[in-house]
Amino acid sequence: MHLRVLVSVSAICIFAPNSGLAEAIVEGRVNLPKSHAPPPVMAKRYEIVTNGGVLATKPPLAVVYLDGSFPTATSHSIKQVAQKDLAFLPPLLPVQIGTTVEFPNLDDTYHNIFSYSPAKRFDLGRYRPEERPIPSVVFDVAGLVTLRCDIHEHMRGLILVLNTPYFVITDESGRFRLSGLPAGHYTLKAWIDSKTTREQPVELKSGATLRTDFP
Amino acid sequence: MKLLRGLAFFLACTAYATEPDDFLDQLDTALTIAAFHDNLRLRLSGTIDLEGYHLQQPAPGLIDSRIDNLFNPRLTLFLDAQMGSQIYFFAQSRLDRGFDPSDHGAQVRLDEYALRITPWEDGRFTLQVGKFATVVGNFVPRHLSWDNPFINAPLVYENITAISDKAAPASPQDFVGSFEADAKYEFNPVIWGPSYATGISVSGRLGRFDYAAEMKNSALSSRPESWSATETDFDHPSFNARLGFRPNQIWNFGFSASDGAYFRPEAEPTLPRGRGIGDFRELVLGQDASFAWHHLQVWAEFYEARFEVPQVGDADTFAYYFEAKYKFTPQLFGALRWNQQLFGNINSGVGGKARWGQDLGRIDVAAGYRFTPHTQLKLQYSYQQQTTGPRDTNHLLAAQFTVRF
Repeated sequence: MHLRVLVSVSAICIFAPNSGLAEAIVEGRVNLPKSHAPPPVMAKRYEIVTNGGVLATKPPLAVVYLDGSFPTATSHSIKQVAQKDLAFLPPLLPVQIGTTVEFPNLDDTYHNIFSYSPAKRFDLGRYRPEERPIPSVVFDVAGLVTLRCDIHEHMRGLILVLNTPYFVITDESGRFRLSGLPAGHYTLKAWIDSKTTREQPVELKSGATLRTDFP
Repeated sequence: MKLLRGLAFFLACTAYATEPDDFLDQLDTALTIAAFHDNLRLRLSGTIDLEGYHLQQPAPGLIDSRIDNLFNPRLTLFLDAQMGSQIYFFAQSRLDRGFDPSDHGAQVRLDEYALRITPWEDGRFTLQVGKFATVVGNFVPRHLSWDNPFINAPLVYENITAISDKAAPASPQDFVGSFEADAKYEFNPVIWGPSYATGISVSGRLGRFDYAAEMKNSALSSRPESWSATETDFDHPSFNARLGFRPNQIWNFGFSASDGAYFRPEAEPTLPRGRGIGDFRELVLGQDASFAWHHLQVWAEFYEARFEVPQVGDADTFAYYFEAKYKFTPQLFGALRWNQQLFGNINSGVGGKARWGQDLGRIDVAAGYRFTPHTQLKLQYSYQQQTTGPRDTNHLLAAQFTVRF
């Protein structure tokens, strides 16, 4: 149940810090890459005990966000990226600058989450499932943070730290709906992978729904 | 000079190669392929190690070099394949100057290959067949360059003793007197590295206990040439086992045992009349413990070994080490290891007792820095001293740069 909440929260993650201005809606579709990387192969060479199981696939997703000059979050936001079945869940999490992300270990083995990404370098060390408080990191610089595990080489996760409160993850077909937006001229961006971000200028009007696709 | 310049350029490149989707990440993805709706997945990966040693003669451990400054590059390739949820295959091949650092020419070897079947999802039972690292002790999971905080192995895995698997001694005096510390490949340590011998193993977990047992074609002390099934058959197999107890993720304890004939076939003519290879065994008992908590990891192993030596009797030795690694920052770590090996007495053959090896201690200090998730530099200093006999000392400086892909 806890996991389901986690996934659903990350999938429809929309922030609306100023609901008085948040009236416009933009929706559309991002053309996602057709071919995706195969799921990773776990190296089990020197593990005496290995469980069976096929690691989950990771269909490509995109993050659509409204770029602009917005006030920073006034409330302290906490999100979670769990380690479950030797994978990050969710594998991609967009957050606003200043967000604290907790990394609960839901496996019955150690994990050691770290990142050497310029936007955030950290190493949480080895920690157990019952570790309290849950190891966490505050993401205070915009950019892409690649999560890895020092024990399980195959594990990869991404946190996209944004300086906007208006973002959403597409579904697997690329569809998105971003609501509660302020009216005005902005740039709408679609982050597809670390090398591909598409953008379009948009004019949002109060009470109107704008249809925009990223071909 | 060109090499140093090239290395400096590479280091500069890696220092900036921190983009998450950098070249090596892309290579990782490109070298993973899948078929049959992802039910068959193969991944090719590897490491490039550039090692340099500044050593004192005779070279310590299993370093086989007559020159004081040794450059020892190594390319290691791994193949991991997952077929469904129950079948896993892996292989390891290396291109280097020898299984252990040496001044010899280049060679290519298939060091490991194994097929693993895990019938149940909970890991209660696993069957593995092939040529693979021993189940004994707790060093194997970190013996590869990327995972090992040091550049070399603990003393018990590389300190050669007077035991030779190539020929039996003619007498106790011959046994002790013929030992030459610089004649590396004529003698054997208690455990030769990770012991990639050929055989079959079963392993699994039952609650807080885990077990592993294997039948291999050669003993723990056997040299790399003996590990291949084409070199050594199963006429005199070695039986090894480890029982582990993990009260929680922080602590892990293990008890190991091994029994195997250690002579190679060419030693047969030198054995006493009427005795065969199977009559002279290496018996090892081991205890291991490990601790991991946040940025600190500690390991310890204790080994009591007995070699049944023709014309001599039982030759006993005890070796242990304590090892700790601590991450000071996300990228910088330090490690410290204390090793000791003590030798028992044998009948001297002239009515008395004689030590069959010189006791020695070694301290290893290392520091490592990970420039990126794919590149790592380690520096190590080791000081070794005999605590009996001539009390010889030995200094070793080593550096290792690793690229993982």
